Amino acid sequence: MARITIDDQSYDVADGRTVLQALDDLGLLMNGVDVPHYCWHPKLSIDGSCRLCQVEIEGFPKLQIACNTPVKDGMVIRTQNERVKTAREGVMELLLVNHPLDCPICDQAGECKLQDYAYEYGAAHARTREPRRPAKKRVELGPTIVFDQERCILCRRCVRFCREVPGTGELMVQGRGDQSVIETAPGEPLANDYSMNVADICPVGALTTKDFRFKIRVWFLEDVPGVCTGCANGCNVHLGVANNRVYRYVPRRNDAVNETWMCDEGRLSYKRIGGEDRLREPQLRGADGRLVAASFDAAIEEAAARIRRAIDASGPGVVVALASPHATNEDLFTLRRLLEVLGSSSAAGVAVSNGRSDSLLIKAEKAANATGARALGFGAPGPVLDRIRGGGARVLIALGHDVLDPAFGASEELFRSLDTLILLDTHHSALERVAHVVLPARVAAEKLGTLTNFAGRVQKVEPAVEPAHLAYSEGEALLRLARAIGLTLFGGPASEARSEPEASGGIRWEPRSISRAIGAAVPAFAGVDIDSVGAEGLPLRGTGP
Amino acid sequence: MGLEAPYVTGYLSEHFAEGDYGTLDGYIARGGYEAAKRALTQLTPTQVVDEVKASGLQGRGGAGFPTGQKWSFMPAGRDKPKYLVCNADESEPGSFKDRLLMERAPHLMLEGILIGAFGTGAEKTFVYVRGEYAESARRVQRAIDQATARGLFGANILGTGFRHDVMLMRGAGAYICGEETGLLESLEGKKGQPRKKPPFPAQYGAFGMPTTVNNVETFCHVPHILRRGAAWFKGIGTDKSPGNTIFGVSGHVARPGLYELPLGTKLDTILFEHAGGVPGGRKVKGVIPGGMSMPILPAGMLDVPMANEFLRERKTMLGTGGIMVMDETTCMVRVGCVISYFFRDESCGQCTQCREGTGWMHKVLNRIERGAGNPDDVDLLLDVAGKMEGTTICAFSDAAAWPIQGLLRHFRADFDAHVKLGRCPFPESFAL
Repeated sequence: MARITIDDQSYDVADGRTVLQALDDLGLLMNGVDVPHYCWHPKLSIDGSCRLCQVEIEGFPKLQIACNTPVKDGMVIRTQNERVKTAREGVMELLLVNHPLDCPICDQAGECKLQDYAYEYGAAHARTREPRRPAKKRVELGPTIVFDQERCILCRRCVRFCREVPGTGELMVQGRGDQSVIETAPGEPLANDYSMNVADICPVGALTTKDFRFKIRVWFLEDVPGVCTGCANGCNVHLGVANNRVYRYVPRRNDAVNETWMCDEGRLSYKRIGGEDRLREPQLRGADGRLVAASFDAAIEEAAARIRRAIDASGPGVVVALASPHATNEDLFTLRRLLEVLGSSSAAGVAVSNGRSDSLLIKAEKAANATGARALGFGAPGPVLDRIRGGGARVLIALGHDVLDPAFGASEELFRSLDTLILLDTHHSALERVAHVVLPARVAAEKLGTLTNFAGRVQKVEPAVEPAHLAYSEGEALLRLARAIGLTLFGGPASEARSEPEASGGIRWEPRSISRAIGAAVPAFAGVDIDSVGAEGLPLRGTGP
Repeated sequence: MGLEAPYVTGYLSEHFAEGDYGTLDGYIARGGYEAAKRALTQLTPTQVVDEVKASGLQGRGGAGFPTGQKWSFMPAGRDKPKYLVCNADESEPGSFKDRLLMERAPHLMLEGILIGAFGTGAEKTFVYVRGEYAESARRVQRAIDQATARGLFGANILGTGFRHDVMLMRGAGAYICGEETGLLESLEGKKGQPRKKPPFPAQYGAFGMPTTVNNVETFCHVPHILRRGAAWFKGIGTDKSPGNTIFGVSGHVARPGLYELPLGTKLDTILFEHAGGVPGGRKVKGVIPGGMSMPILPAGMLDVPMANEFLRERKTMLGTGGIMVMDETTCMVRVGCVISYFFRDESCGQCTQCREGTGWMHKVLNRIERGAGNPDDVDLLLDVAGKMEGTTICAFSDAAAWPIQGLLRHFRADFDAHVKLGRCPFPESFAL
């Protein structure tokens, strides 16, 4: 532990850290103590080349770069005096010697550190009369990234990222001096599972993603905190939202989950939110065997009637369920309650599709809440499928269609043997072909709730957009279904089914109360709910730090 | 080879003209390797370092850091291999002494290396030779082979149990690879870019191991110090700058060449007594005293003793002792263009101030030389040079700023004349 003084304030910081790292550890960097920087990044090796983070340290005749100067007990640091400001202004001026002043047509404008710092720390007027260096525009570095050489300030974050994070090292600096350019080797494009992160860490408009560039001005975007649902890792993201549409995911820093990164596949998975294949309307299978559109209420009524008939005929044991590993903990707990109240609690499972994984962020389980589903008691789908095969199950409530993954050996034909298949889903699938009642559901970006990542970290999602069609969260749809059957799922203080005006069908879906109810019923969730998990989530009890 | 023996010799160069001095037998016949023998068999490593410390020897590669002190930074103990690097990259324009030392006295350098290795406990020395110095590399490699075959390098040297190997590496032509950490990167097969400090080479040097980097000439002084003692060495030169050095004189002089003289010899003595003065009866206009990165001195300051304590008072330094003489026909704006072009081309491009500042200065100087300068350009140049000074990973940025500052300090009239006339007032025949 070292006690250091920064701008007349004392702080205790860990030994072995540099001044900038210590500020980052304290949460003060550019958040109370402004030490602007370009080449330094909290998750990359120290480069020490941009020279913008110079600060005054007592005992050193020259200004020192904060990024590479180790803290020492008793160190006195000044970050805001005239000497430091003059040095910053000098670096800013030199960075702009070869940088085009065409912010109005640059896609980075609005989230550009060069623009921000030039405004904050630079001089008001340019003194350069010389032409900027000639450089290439629109260089395709690979399938995902476009490079504008003119705008590059050679901080080399991208070069270090490729070497240090995915370990693929596609990028390098070619040439030297003011002829230096970021390059790939011939025939070796920038192509790795994490390539698009270089656009996030590029402080200027030099690296942009083909997917997002020139789609929308960033100042029209609202950044809604959320979680990527591409796999079980649950990388924290900001959803860039405008006009009720998600334009992009960018990683949101969470050192316990994804540091500052996310994979390209996950990043592009935002497209599924507004995808063409979204399930948009409730449907019922008519007498002629064809699915036809129906109102939500009619679909719920039909589903309730089918469940009642089956139970009346054969007892509650004939109702089985498959939980969705994509639904929230609150949705899944509601399903669990429904099954408990129906008396069929043993007949439920969750099907989770597996895919490619790596040692960084990409997890094999391609669902955001498989761990949550298991923590809430949903086991492997085998027993449910066996019950269907054996004829003991007549009604299946299916959330999502992951069970169609060939790994589970469940064909459409198997489900055709059911009397009733009630499908709550977000996207079209072959399961609709054998469903009797189809209800559109909400994706994570459209609802409030929590997801539990592979390590048991419970993280909050909140509505960033409204679905373009009427759709209920699976939990709310199940609550309505229960009501239609004549059942009350939640009593006592967590009551969600208390009397409401008829206009809302007597139902109020309150994920916050459900979330707390989970904690009361499942010890692992005690104290871990929507309101307590915060921006960075909390681990389930008994699952690590 | 174009250069014959230097016109003034001393302990370093007295045998340069004798062809067999470069061979192992010729070197041994003149007392070679006796100092190393004494060090390895009669002294402790600490005594060796202390002797060099006591001599006051300062590095001859440009920065003038005390050599014994540098050696003492090497960590004790044997938990990691330790290395020496002989910086034979000699890339400073105006400097050519190391080339002759390697070609004429390779064993003198190797003996210095062996003594330094024993003093610092290094197990290997990398001799990093400037790529263009093909002949130097050939002769040094031959000397390494001869000395190794005779048991002066390798395992169990002189029966003492001490082991040391020397490995020659050739550079690929970048100025910055003469900077010690740029050299280390290049040595490791990477792009020549100086490393940020900390860590310093004595903790994390070549291949991550404790390393000390010394210049060729620096090593060449060491056997003489061990042979004749620190007191002898301190008796040469000035109080603060002991010993001889080899000055390289080039430019507008009658007898360009290498001159081994005591530090503190006056610049005008070197120019007029030794190098024969400016030919054609023309006058000296300015002299760069220590290689191109050192600020120029005007004709009125030629009485300066060539040692850092005196040169610093005149806002310049000894550098590598490469003296470049320019006569009155020289356009100092053009000199600025040439110097700034060099530094623009050679900047490694890591640090903002250096990468952008060298290019900006070069463009502005070119504009002034073309006759398109503005009255405020001189102030702009001074301001940019000021921003480049003392703020980067290595001293390259300073080295690029200082000479321009020097030109503006002493020859501002040349710059003002260009701006006023809208053209260069000097004949075009000039060449640096």
